[in-house]
Amino acid sequence: MGESIPPVSLGAGPPPPSPAPRRLRTGPLWLALQVVLSGSLLLLFVVPIVALFASAPFHDLVSASRSADVRAALWLTFFSSGMAVLAAVVFGIPMGYLLARRTFPGRSILESLVALPVVVPHLLVGLGLFFLVIPGTPLYRFTQAIGFPVYDTIWGVVLVMVFVSAPYTVLASELSFRAVDARVLEAARSLGAGPATAFLTVTLPLALRGIVAGLLLSWARAVSEIGGLLVLAYAVYPAGPYNGPVTSTISVYIYNLFQNGNLGDAAAVSSLFLLIAFALFVLVRIGERSGWLPWRRGELAP
Amino acid sequence: MSHAWVVEGVESDLDQFHLGPVNLTLAPGNAVAVLGASGAGKTTLLRTIAGFLRLRKGRILRDGVDISALLPEERSLGYVPQGLGLFPHRTVEGNVRYPMEIRDRPGAKERTQELLDQFRLRPLAHRYPARLSGGEQQRVALARALAADPGLIIWDEPWQGLDVLARYELGLALHELRQSERVPMVVVTHDPTLAFSVADSFVVLRGGQVREQCDAATLLRAPADPFAARFVGFENVFDRDALSAGAPGSLRAYLLDRAGSEGVAFASPHLGPMPSDTGRWEGKVRSARPNPHGFTVELLADGLVIAVRIPPPMTPPLPALGESVRFDVEHATLQVLGGPHP
Repeated sequence: MGESIPPVSLGAGPPPPSPAPRRLRTGPLWLALQVVLSGSLLLLFVVPIVALFASAPFHDLVSASRSADVRAALWLTFFSSGMAVLAAVVFGIPMGYLLARRTFPGRSILESLVALPVVVPHLLVGLGLFFLVIPGTPLYRFTQAIGFPVYDTIWGVVLVMVFVSAPYTVLASELSFRAVDARVLEAARSLGAGPATAFLTVTLPLALRGIVAGLLLSWARAVSEIGGLLVLAYAVYPAGPYNGPVTSTISVYIYNLFQNGNLGDAAAVSSLFLLIAFALFVLVRIGERSGWLPWRRGELAP
Repeated sequence: MSHAWVVEGVESDLDQFHLGPVNLTLAPGNAVAVLGASGAGKTTLLRTIAGFLRLRKGRILRDGVDISALLPEERSLGYVPQGLGLFPHRTVEGNVRYPMEIRDRPGAKERTQELLDQFRLRPLAHRYPARLSGGEQQRVALARALAADPGLIIWDEPWQGLDVLARYELGLALHELRQSERVPMVVVTHDPTLAFSVADSFVVLRGGQVREQCDAATLLRAPADPFAARFVGFENVFDRDALSAGAPGSLRAYLLDRAGSEGVAFASPHLGPMPSDTGRWEGKVRSARPNPHGFTVELLADGLVIAVRIPPPMTPPLPALGESVRFDVEHATLQVLGGPHP
């Protein structure tokens, strides 16, 4: 009877509270540490951009935006990066889907190959392409013959841009497709949707947000490319959709200004380009938030 | 749509897991509950019927027609997977309209409104699933399944994550649906009360095998499977391994003598008057915990934990922890599990 175990007491109060040990309040300290660390990183992001704008007076910006040379370089940059993004849509998204949904021998090798352009220095990429398409090579003659000359043309710019930027779309779409709940898909199938309908009405809309994020990264990577372009398409001669004066992408253009000592102009053109790129990003964000763009529906809406 | 369904000797594989053979017969308006512990193959069975797993053997008949070769989208089923599978990017209305939209059904708009009204979803029509309560989401899933005009509703754990009231409401809705539309149903559930409120027959799975298949009354009266015995409320369930190595004349030996191939189950034993000096067996009180139906006292007797239910009012008073009490296992309440032991 009883032994050392206390009897069950019904309705009795809790045992008397023992004084809680005093503990150091680390919460505020921890928060301060986070603020300081992320603040430092943020400063590193923002300060150079502020410095850039500070060394480009507003009237310089205006005159840069009126210069035909600058406009040609901007047009070339945005057009070819747009083409690169289009290529990422056409080739990158299906590849992401393949990697997300199928298992096949050599899949991990394929995944490593896709990541290769991200890790290889881009100057080497340009060099590799350069050896393939310089005058005298079979590929040079072939591209000339079919009307897509690559060396020092807009197609060369697009080619380099696709090479360096498409992996971001492939990887982002792979992750996004993989994140779509298989049970939601099974529900759709059972409700009467065939594989194609289920893909278009469920898988794609649900993966779209991540895919778009990947496309934005691809685009950002494409417009900021310089290494490969220095080798393969340093000067862009009229060909294909481009028939203006000899120009270069905005990155190469700014690099040239800098090399020639036109620091003021370099700052002005850089600032102008930053403004445009930033405006585009803000527009996309506003579009998402307000629901004009479909890929965040159900997440932000009521 | 009321159909009759026959699942005939169905077997399927999912990776290393083998299911079956399973036989089911569902007349219009019939509902079967699939029971079993986690990993027993419940979801695998549902997905096999829904057409997501290839049949290795057997066939599935709808009104006598073999539909085993049909794709999931051709089977006209309302399959509600675990977690409901609502479309997060579509509003409530968009979810309910989906099955009719993809088939270009005429009158889709009117039917959608009808279903929204039927399930009290009209005020929520423009909300997205993430902004709904669990009970509301369940109603959307049910309305959407009905929008497909299904010949069979297959629901994996309808009551998961619902509060008591929402569970009751959903049980009622499913019951009404069976009555009014005569849609047969297969539900997987862990909730005994609701299973009995909806289903008229039961299948108990373990390790992909059917351990027991019977109507509600039989399951209640004479469960043959340990899981089923626990499910219908037997407090004490022991398999043969737990009982072996008992000294002659001990509680273990007594129970082992009466156990079937799967073991033995018995309801709460009777405690003698307190302090107890009668009863054939002696046990030491290990714990006493309140529950919605009174108290459950656990006794340690012959190395076995015996649960005793003491309903209110608590007369005699609860025994103290560590106290030795005597009890009887009434022969009449002993339930032999499985077949006779060879």
